[in-house]
Amino acid sequence: MQTARTVDSALFDPTVPVIVQGITGRAGRIHAQLMQTYGTRLVGGVAANATASRQPVAGIPVFASCREAVAATGARASLLMVPPFQVRAAVDDALAGGVELLVCVTEGVPVHDAIAAVRQARERDAVLVGPSTPGLAVPGRMKIGFLPDAALMAGPLGVMSKSGTLSYELCYRLARRGVGQSLWIGVGGDAVKGARFADLVPLFRLHQETAALLVIGEIGGTEEEDLAEALLRERFAKPVFALLAGTTAPEGITMGHAGALIHGTRGTAASKIAALAAAGVRVHATMRAIVADIVQRLRADR
Amino acid sequence: MFLLEHHGKELLASHGIAVPAGAFVSSGGDPQALALPDGPLMVKAQIAAGGRGKAGLVRAAASRTEATRIVGQLESTGANGKPIHGFRIEQRIDFIREAYVSLSVDAKAARIRLMVAPEGGVDVEAAATQRSILSDPEGLPQAVKQLCATLPPDMRAVLHDASMRLADAFLRHEATLLEINPLFIVAGGRFVAGDVKLVIDDNAIPRQPAIRALLEQHPGIYPEAARKLAHGFDYVEVDPQGEIGLITTGAGLSMQLIDELKSQGCRPLNFCDIRSGQFRGDPARLVAAMRWIAARRTVRVVLVNIFAGITDLAEFARLLVQAAAQVPELRVPIVARLIGRNLDDARQILDASALAVTLEPGLDRAVGLTLAALDANGAHRG
Repeated sequence: MQTARTVDSALFDPTVPVIVQGITGRAGRIHAQLMQTYGTRLVGGVAANATASRQPVAGIPVFASCREAVAATGARASLLMVPPFQVRAAVDDALAGGVELLVCVTEGVPVHDAIAAVRQARERDAVLVGPSTPGLAVPGRMKIGFLPDAALMAGPLGVMSKSGTLSYELCYRLARRGVGQSLWIGVGGDAVKGARFADLVPLFRLHQETAALLVIGEIGGTEEEDLAEALLRERFAKPVFALLAGTTAPEGITMGHAGALIHGTRGTAASKIAALAAAGVRVHATMRAIVADIVQRLRADR
Repeated sequence: MFLLEHHGKELLASHGIAVPAGAFVSSGGDPQALALPDGPLMVKAQIAAGGRGKAGLVRAAASRTEATRIVGQLESTGANGKPIHGFRIEQRIDFIREAYVSLSVDAKAARIRLMVAPEGGVDVEAAATQRSILSDPEGLPQAVKQLCATLPPDMRAVLHDASMRLADAFLRHEATLLEINPLFIVAGGRFVAGDVKLVIDDNAIPRQPAIRALLEQHPGIYPEAARKLAHGFDYVEVDPQGEIGLITTGAGLSMQLIDELKSQGCRPLNFCDIRSGQFRGDPARLVAAMRWIAARRTVRVVLVNIFAGITDLAEFARLLVQAAAQVPELRVPIVARLIGRNLDDARQILDASALAVTLEPGLDRAVGLTLAALDANGAHRG
């Protein structure tokens, strides 16, 4: 059986050259410029649609395929901003072009397409983040995706989250109280995805700038339980704080995130809280409580 | 989208998979009028959840008259709070053995899990897991062959046939789960799908014509999926007697907000991920959410929560005012927690409008204002 590879820390180098697939779309244009302004080394874009304009976007050259874009620019990472039914083709294009890090922000990708994308990425030894992620950032240096600037601030806290908005809210509150982030990775709320919480544990363990870890989980699936196992297995010694959304959600109903679905006793909040607590994670029930705890702990550590 | 057994069986039957002859009667309908086979029958309450056997929602009936009586009984006892959408009444199958086949998406492996077991029953799943195979979609024929080779010789051919047909239906309809338990083995080496548990990937529905048609015919049975297909965003009613209507962006933050409101003794009406970044200048989503909220007379306040990374809050405020004008029946105060770009312009637009709205950029304070509005409107918490 194949196993998910460990995410390579070199890929979260703040100087990694990035392209945007779907750069000529409405969202692609906006976010390409915002990323560039933020400091991301944005070297190109791809408009795969044969009829699309290849005029540069904000001075960024636009190519017909990732292969062309990589050859011309040396890009190693790609942000996929294409409609859900075009994600499979965009992943094919990126992998064929030799892209090493794929960040897919598209929401609503069909599960069977995600299965194919995840497998192809694994076969090529590439890292896929998402789908349905707001992206990732080395705060103060670069971001790939649309994590809001108001919530981004350089600091000691590693962040991994299934939820975009809940991570914005918490990081915004923490930033206002002086706690910023070292590396922020949205894994997305879909059930089938590339990088999962457990895959990121070795990365955060080795990441020098990360002094503590904030995990924002959700009901459904077994990702939090797998994370707890990985923390123990990797002897993760940095403090870990977790908040789980959906603890009161009804069984059998999808709440916006395809992965946030409980059937029977699988994926319940109780199972996740127990597993995380047993791995030494400080699990909180409210936003206010987790923010207060992190602020207090990280200040005391200084 | 968890299909009712009846819809799952109709879908499988359309692919030539044998199911017991039967018919559907809506709640309050008359089973006497159905075209039913002669002989002993099964009455199966149709709810969108598993565990019906243990809950007493699947009953044997010797005759049509008895089936009618059971329908009446189940209608009065209900399904533990879950709505019963009707009943499937079908032929009771004279079987030689029961078996089990399921296909599901294994999220962690990003592969398909195939399970085939030579016995069926309510507790077979745990045992069947022991002998399951993870496969890529293209590898399923090989996986079926491999699993069936471990079965008793007299069951290999029939379960091979059943598994291949079910795998085809699973992939064709982009299911995340297809479970047949029991799978009846009948005389002549044939099989009949005794029960069907079928979950379709919500994200695939726009390209699944048969499922789309089902949703368009039965929006009342599948309200969440029907709403999402028609309006493009998620809205789930979590408490029909809820007092706080939520218009929020972001699934995780919306879920967390519901959790925290409940823990403070409040009753939120709904989950909502309206995705304000996709409005493109059209208030349609806000109008839809406001109408659904206004339809519940127990709602006393609406809490809007938009953490805008990119959304222009001035435009959002304009759309909120436009939408409210189209939904005059929504007469409760609105607390709008808006944070992000152009907050000051948004404040001016809301202040200049006739809308009973309070703008507050802090979420904790906005929740406080919401609770205060509840108390002012005479709700009792706790």
